Amino acid sequence: MKMTKIYEGSHQWIMFGRDEGKPDNIIDTNQYVVRTPNRCLLLDPGGAELFAPMMAAVLHHAPVDQITDLFASHQDPDVISSLGLWDQALTNAKLHAPAIWEGFLRHYSCESIEYVPIPDNGGTIKLESVELQLIPAHYLHSPGNFHVYDPQAKILMTGDVGAAFEAPDAPVFVDNFAAHVEKMRHWHQRMMPSNQAKRVWIERVRNMDIDILAPQHGRMFKGDDVKRFLDWFDALQVGIAV
Amino acid sequence: MTNQTKSQFIAVASITSELSAVMVVAKEISLAAANAKAIAFRAGDKAKGFQPITDFINELAKETIELVTNINIYALVLYRLTVDEYQKTAAYNKFELAAKMAEGAVYAKSMQEPVDHARLSMQDCQRQFKRDVSQLLGQLEAVMHHARAARVIAANSRIEASQAGEYLQSLQAVAESVDKAAHTIHDNVQRCRIALSIYRNS
Repeated sequence: MKMTKIYEGSHQWIMFGRDEGKPDNIIDTNQYVVRTPNRCLLLDPGGAELFAPMMAAVLHHAPVDQITDLFASHQDPDVISSLGLWDQALTNAKLHAPAIWEGFLRHYSCESIEYVPIPDNGGTIKLESVELQLIPAHYLHSPGNFHVYDPQAKILMTGDVGAAFEAPDAPVFVDNFAAHVEKMRHWHQRMMPSNQAKRVWIERVRNMDIDILAPQHGRMFKGDDVKRFLDWFDALQVGIAV
Repeated sequence: MTNQTKSQFIAVASITSELSAVMVVAKEISLAAANAKAIAFRAGDKAKGFQPITDFINELAKETIELVTNINIYALVLYRLTVDEYQKTAAYNKFELAAKMAEGAVYAKSMQEPVDHARLSMQDCQRQFKRDVSQLLGQLEAVMHHARAARVIAANSRIEASQAGEYLQSLQAVAESVDKAAHTIHDNVQRCRIALSIYRNS
């Protein structure tokens, strides 16, 4: 699995993805790790198929007993169907996930991990000295959906917003926004159900200071491409399947 | 899922299915007992020997229903244990794979504890499953015993029915239905025992 450090400061952000051992018939996903001196948070840790390579990759950065927190942006299997395995591997961890999905996510088995429900209006995750903000992103695409903003690293992890599907050897950052648009268009039109939800989210996100916008699939956006993405998404009609 | 796990799931699921058929038949025996009692009452002295047999039949049916109800609860526990074992085995295999893939990683050794813990949990589940299967086989044997007793009662019923004059046919029909039900119970329970016996604690 490819590992890319995307922020290095008082803490670190590492992106994991482009898993070459992944079965061909499951979609590629990006996982993110926030590492502080003694703790480690996995953002959208991935599906059950991905557990072993993901755990192996994380062990380059943290020991098992310092993986203390998991975050699931929403309930999809590519986001968190590995929960039952993390639940057996971790002895002292919390899962931060939307409150409305608790009864659903527990189907994956969540006995030793503490489920910390995120209310609809959001919240925070405190990881030693780092405070991450949980930004409501409901209906983008899931009815109960959150993104993670790190004001210190200026990174916004956006789940399925900004997603695209790429070749396994594709670069991790967008390098030609105009060419990248066509890889995102149908996904966003088909998967995002609500123009109103999209507008509210864009208004909220435009007020944030963002260096990197980090989706769960495909390439990340940095610098001016963040604004380009927001403008493009703003103009896009979504919910086209009705 | 391995073939062994699949067979285990099928074996446990088949118990519930076979036993639900046993339950239906046991209720039929109970009904036959009530019917026999009414006929024996009408027959008066002609069916004097048949009257206590109807009480035996009824008691046997009640005990069988009670046993099967308990076994069904036990089968559910066994099913949950099978799911648990499946999950623990899957976890152990994934943890071993993760440990192998992490070779050379700075914190690779920290994976050893989850691997060891998963192995122990998996082995605990396997042992518990075998213990529970042995107990369940014991309970199934008790149902078999009831089925054998029902067949003896059916044979006695036929003899008593032959003394019942014009009530002979009705009482023989009762004896036949008890015998048939006993056969069905025996066959179904025997299938459960065969399905489970390969998992017995040796």
